[in-house]
Amino acid sequence: MLGRRKFLRVGSAALVGLSLKSEQKIAGSFVNDSFQTGHLLRARASFPPPKRTEKLPVVIVGGGIAGLSAAWRLHKRGYSDFVLLEMNAQAGGNARWGENETTAYPWAAHYVPVPGPKAIYVRELFEDLGVLKNGQWEERYLAFSPQERLFLYGRWQEGIEPAVGLTPRDREQFQRLEDLFTDFRKRGSFTIPLELGRSSKDKDLDCISFLDWLVQLGFDSRLLLWYMNYACRDDYGALAADTSAWAGIHYFSSREPEEKGPLTWPEGNGWITRRLLERVGPRIRAGQMAHRAIPTRRGVSVFSGDTEYQAEFLIFAAPTFLAPYVFEDFPRFRDFVYSPWLTANLTLERYPDSRGAEPSWDTVFLDSPTLGYVDAMHQSLRTHIDRTVWTFYWALVEGSPAQNRQLLLEKDWAYWKEAILHDLERVHHDIRQCVSRIDIMRMGHAMIRPAVGSIFSEERRYTQRFHERVLFANSDLSGISIFEEAQYHGVKAAEKVLARLRGRP
Amino acid sequence: MGILLFISVLLVAACGLIYELVAGTLASYLVGDSVFQFSTVIGTYLFAMGIGSALSRHIHRALVHRFVWIELLLGVVGGFSSALLMIAFAFTQGFELILYALVMVMGILVGLEIPLLMRIVKDRYHFRDVIAHVLTFDYLGALGASLIFPILLVPRLGLVRSAMLFGLVNAGVALWSTFLFANQLTRTRSLRTACLLVLCGLGAGMAEARHITATAEDNIYADEIIFARDTRYQHLVLTRFKDDLRLFLNSHLQFSSRDEYRYHETLVHPGLAAVPAPRRVLVLGGGDGLAVREILKYPQVESITLVDLDPEMTGLFSTHPVLTKLNDKSLLSERVRVVNADAFPWVDSNRDSFDFIVIDFPDPTNYSLGKLYTVAFYRAVARHLSAQGFMVVQSTSPMFARDSFWCIAQTLKQAGLQTYPYHVYVPSFGEWGFVLAGTHQYIPPSTFLPGLRFVTKEGLPALFQFPPDMSPLSMPPNELNSQVLVRTYENDWKDISH
Repeated sequence: MLGRRKFLRVGSAALVGLSLKSEQKIAGSFVNDSFQTGHLLRARASFPPPKRTEKLPVVIVGGGIAGLSAAWRLHKRGYSDFVLLEMNAQAGGNARWGENETTAYPWAAHYVPVPGPKAIYVRELFEDLGVLKNGQWEERYLAFSPQERLFLYGRWQEGIEPAVGLTPRDREQFQRLEDLFTDFRKRGSFTIPLELGRSSKDKDLDCISFLDWLVQLGFDSRLLLWYMNYACRDDYGALAADTSAWAGIHYFSSREPEEKGPLTWPEGNGWITRRLLERVGPRIRAGQMAHRAIPTRRGVSVFSGDTEYQAEFLIFAAPTFLAPYVFEDFPRFRDFVYSPWLTANLTLERYPDSRGAEPSWDTVFLDSPTLGYVDAMHQSLRTHIDRTVWTFYWALVEGSPAQNRQLLLEKDWAYWKEAILHDLERVHHDIRQCVSRIDIMRMGHAMIRPAVGSIFSEERRYTQRFHERVLFANSDLSGISIFEEAQYHGVKAAEKVLARLRGRP
Repeated sequence: MGILLFISVLLVAACGLIYELVAGTLASYLVGDSVFQFSTVIGTYLFAMGIGSALSRHIHRALVHRFVWIELLLGVVGGFSSALLMIAFAFTQGFELILYALVMVMGILVGLEIPLLMRIVKDRYHFRDVIAHVLTFDYLGALGASLIFPILLVPRLGLVRSAMLFGLVNAGVALWSTFLFANQLTRTRSLRTACLLVLCGLGAGMAEARHITATAEDNIYADEIIFARDTRYQHLVLTRFKDDLRLFLNSHLQFSSRDEYRYHETLVHPGLAAVPAPRRVLVLGGGDGLAVREILKYPQVESITLVDLDPEMTGLFSTHPVLTKLNDKSLLSERVRVVNADAFPWVDSNRDSFDFIVIDFPDPTNYSLGKLYTVAFYRAVARHLSAQGFMVVQSTSPMFARDSFWCIAQTLKQAGLQTYPYHVYVPSFGEWGFVLAGTHQYIPPSTFLPGLRFVTKEGLPALFQFPPDMSPLSMPPNELNSQVLVRTYENDWKDISH
């Protein structure tokens, strides 16, 4: 017969055994790391002298949306005498994508809001890509319903703006702020592209943080401030306290409250990259870092690998923080701050328990330090979906960008994997049984941050007068990192180059 | 003797609790609302026990004799209680009356037991000890019963046999008591004979329990389930009651063999007969092969492509003898090609053109199915229509889901098609609706195939007329990014069920 002690021991062992569920082995690694090559520039490593030269009218440096858009524009105007040098193995920048046997998925930007009337270049691109046909947006490319959901107080709500558990005071503040944003919208100075409307009358809004601006106007609702912070973290990779009030207002006042959802694809903005690559792919040289550029009155020499490109014009579409390492005499800017980010793609063998909710496109948890995740299979036309990929977004906003870049480099893959699963586990208790792979991409300088004072910064104008043969094209020129701005500056730079090339005798 | 006596207290207490649990559980199973059922059954039972205790003071003599009879009576009533209740539910209207009457009788008998037992043994022990021991074993028995009931009895024996098993225990205690208290008894022989008779009766009941349950269950679930399976995609149940065969997908009725001809003839013939020389036909959904059966009646049709997601569904309707009889082995025809694929991607990637397209999907109950009722989907399907072709769409009920029906019609219009909505009465469904659509004008056929049971040339115009309670409503089209139909459909049916 079992003694009492033995019984207790056996019994408790049995109970423990019951509570241990079989856990799936989760594979994965860091992917697309680019800091190793980037840091060579910073270290001013000695690059080998060129072995050959290539003469070309135009060289584009940087294969993100700005560079690709410049290339698209040149190509569309029938001009193909150019090359695009991209440091990474894959072009696309913040519109890169990945693919596995289940689906394609984004590595960063995953949607473009339906562009307003002023964003003519974006509209033109979308007509070219078949997204806009006869004034109609292609149904398959609009985010399917249900689109966004927020998990709060143990339940789901549709949309990310908190609508559950609001006190009358919260409601009054949400309404008052919405009215304020509507007034700003009517002013017409918060536009996309930003350059077309920005007015020095609003300069004082750039001298104060978005949070201080809100607090000064008497906004103190916890849910409202959470939502404002979420918007800044999501679009700018910064807390409202670290964001210019002008940029915070721009987020809400630059677009018409739209009926149709944003434009999106399984691979996010990677879909646009793919379409652009179909058109200009042969002109692109990936894995080529331009480590030195020397502009003269007659042209620009660009050094990359073993080649010296002798171009008439250089479109510099890489992030501006690289310019001091590439050009001899380019100053270091104080007002250009970059937000560090982390994105992860999780391969799911099945959908986890979601407490009764049907899968949505974009999922956010209230009060999470992360930004939530997007379901790549949401835009699938299939009715039966079992496996999928979730793209998980995390802007590291607490503390200084430099500290967070350090953190990104120091911590290993397992650390971030656990942090991500821990966050998801709060809502999807069985997530560990569903995930088979987590790949993580670290971006130390993921996007320009619209910090206080940066929108109207004098430094921003410097790029225009730096050199007549160097045209800067990136979203840094606007101060906010969104697709439309990058595309606008890319197209504009291409137009300028074309005008100069054709205007010559 | 002491311990034996108290074990019988324990057993008696266990029996009492088991009967109460059986009654509560059965009532929950059969009527539903378990909180209400358990509350009222337990309340009634305890109240009846109080009556039993009160009645015990009227028993003055021959205590052991009476105790044995009470045990026997309880064994019979309690033991057969579960079977009786099932039969009452299956065959009578008065389930509740019988339930509470039984609970009262059992409660009164159980209420009599303990006071009698205490009085029987009161002279052997101190009063203090009697109370302590009897109640201790009484509660222990209750604990034991409450544990073995859900863990062992219900899963292993089922409710009918569990009750009978404890009826046997009651009768056993009765028999045992005739030995235990033999010195206080006269006429022991006749008592023991009665005990044996009850034991035999309950034993026979145990042996026959399967039949009792089966008979009752057949009546409770009206239809016999001849097939039930969870496939990768859906829960599939096939039931048969007499000559009525019914298919349920995820608990939604798909057809009843008694009137499905109305549905499938109306789905296929008004459109297909209007196509001058139909050669190629596409069916999306409809893995039961019943629409295909109708299409095969046209000798000009050379090929039918059936696209259905679930291979188990099309497999079942290709092989099960009862089902192949129903669909005339349509899926086995040489003219039919079965493709197991998700419809939207298939439609997108395929380039064939068809003279007639049947779209027969389950109702848009969720966002996944909702994708198959969108402008984008209908546009993609319409690209497969030949110049003379038409398509027809199963469009839920214009009566019960009127908004949804007209939303589907509007969605087809938005996809650039001319639409011709119509409806039919199918007894097992109620009023049901379809939308015929094409790129050109629909001219009703001047003749139909001979041998149809419902669709006729004369009856056709009536199908296209909508009385005021189903007449057109102005609805927005259903698009992938809005999925208004799923929300509309949910509201439509919510309104009905309230």
